[in-house]
Amino acid sequence: MPIIKEGELDIISHSAEQTQRFGVRLGALLQPGDVICLSGDMGAGKTVFATGIGKGWGAKHALTSPTFNLVHEHTRDADKVRLYHLDCYRLTTAAEADTIGLDDMLDSAGILVFEWPEHIEAALPKKRLWIEIRVIEPTRRNFMFEAHGKRYETLVAEFRRQILGR
Amino acid sequence: MTHILGIETSCDETAASVVIDGKVIASNVVASQIDLHAAYGGVFPEVASRAHVEAIGPVVEQAMVDSGIGYDSLDAIAVTRGPGLVGSLLVGMNYAKGLALATGKPLLGINHLEGHVYSLWLSDMRSEPRFPILLLIISGGHTELLLMKGHGKYERLGGTLDDAAGEAFDKVGRLLGLPYPGGPHIERAAQNGNAAVFSFPRAKRDDSYDFSFSGLKTAVMREVTVQPSAEVRRKRKRGAEKKAQLRADVSVNDVAASFQVAVVEQIVSKTARAAKQYGVNEIFMAGGVSANQLLRAEMRKATQIPVRYPPLNLCTDNAAMIAAAAHYRYEAGLRDELDLDVKPMWPLTSDAYDK
Repeated sequence: MPIIKEGELDIISHSAEQTQRFGVRLGALLQPGDVICLSGDMGAGKTVFATGIGKGWGAKHALTSPTFNLVHEHTRDADKVRLYHLDCYRLTTAAEADTIGLDDMLDSAGILVFEWPEHIEAALPKKRLWIEIRVIEPTRRNFMFEAHGKRYETLVAEFRRQILGR
Repeated sequence: MTHILGIETSCDETAASVVIDGKVIASNVVASQIDLHAAYGGVFPEVASRAHVEAIGPVVEQAMVDSGIGYDSLDAIAVTRGPGLVGSLLVGMNYAKGLALATGKPLLGINHLEGHVYSLWLSDMRSEPRFPILLLIISGGHTELLLMKGHGKYERLGGTLDDAAGEAFDKVGRLLGLPYPGGPHIERAAQNGNAAVFSFPRAKRDDSYDFSFSGLKTAVMREVTVQPSAEVRRKRKRGAEKKAQLRADVSVNDVAASFQVAVVEQIVSKTARAAKQYGVNEIFMAGGVSANQLLRAEMRKATQIPVRYPPLNLCTDNAAMIAAAAHYRYEAGLRDELDLDVKPMWPLTSDAYDK
């Protein structure tokens, strides 16, 4: 019997650099329409991980904190797909998510990467990859991957192969 | 001679201003939403756009009345096109288009960052600036180091890799229980603090002109907050908001002072190095964080090159700077169409306006 459930992954990052490299690996596997939720305290490493995702995906401009503008829209040279990097800290209800055009982003077949997704959980698609980041020690972080939906089980399995080789 | 009406709604200020020849402020009206947002510790988008909708008409009217210049005498209507909050930008853009249509005056969409640059031309300058100029734009949403070779000619040297400088002030302010916006409150607390108490990380020693404030923020948090016990962490609901608890034995003033010094040192060292390498004639600082007195003093100390910054009321968002930037674009014969769209993401480069 497996110790953790299908579609779950529990890993430790030992540094901000490693956190970013995890992000790079995940970013390279993303497909249009993917929804990634990064949940964790201030300073947990959500933006560091997201920056890695951007690198792995091939974003033209480096991903930086979207806190101020709430949404950063990214493009890459390979195709016309967009990657939306959102910070929902200052959104208090699902209805408010509408004011930043969340519906349009979800309909656009773009990739959505959320920080503070719990603030608008009701507005999020049911199918998504939820990543819970916990601070264990000053430089160590625990990443819990939870796949919701078939696509994300596949994604987590691919990601696991990428980083663990199995 | 040009008379340009500027409109700015990219974030939390509804502002309008009439500027003559890109230099003389005929009127400058700013309806600040800071009180509205202070309760939340930051700008709330829905609150912001609703407040803009309510304020924009009276604010523009007031700017026109104050200036003593009629709509007929305007040469152009300038509006912030980006970067900023999409909902907020749209309020200003739509109002400006309506005015342009009603008055028959040309419309000019302006980059907010370029506006900050031109806030320098609005200050009482004894001499015209000499290019090349090193630009440091530091605010809640931006941290950019640019080389300005002429009007409208920019080369980006670096910027933040993670948080903007002002954002770091806001987040650390929140951690310390200080009101929003963090910048002025941290500066005030720091005056009564000892900056030598904590040694927070400084800039990475590399050749780049990029900044990073996220590690500093995390270091401050590590130093001054109580780590929740493993027990508490286990019992916490997944995704529940985790409020960091401030340690009882730390002095907020000392943390503020130590943090401020670390931020300032990083900004000053990179800027002074870039000024030397690119052989600039002047250094311009603009944006909300450029109001920080320690930053101004340290920057002047670090270099022999003249350092200019706008007066305090022009450091933060305003519309006079938008009208001033528009003057140079108007004089260059540039005009925008009425189907102009807003650009929430819009880096300032020489080809910024090309597409």
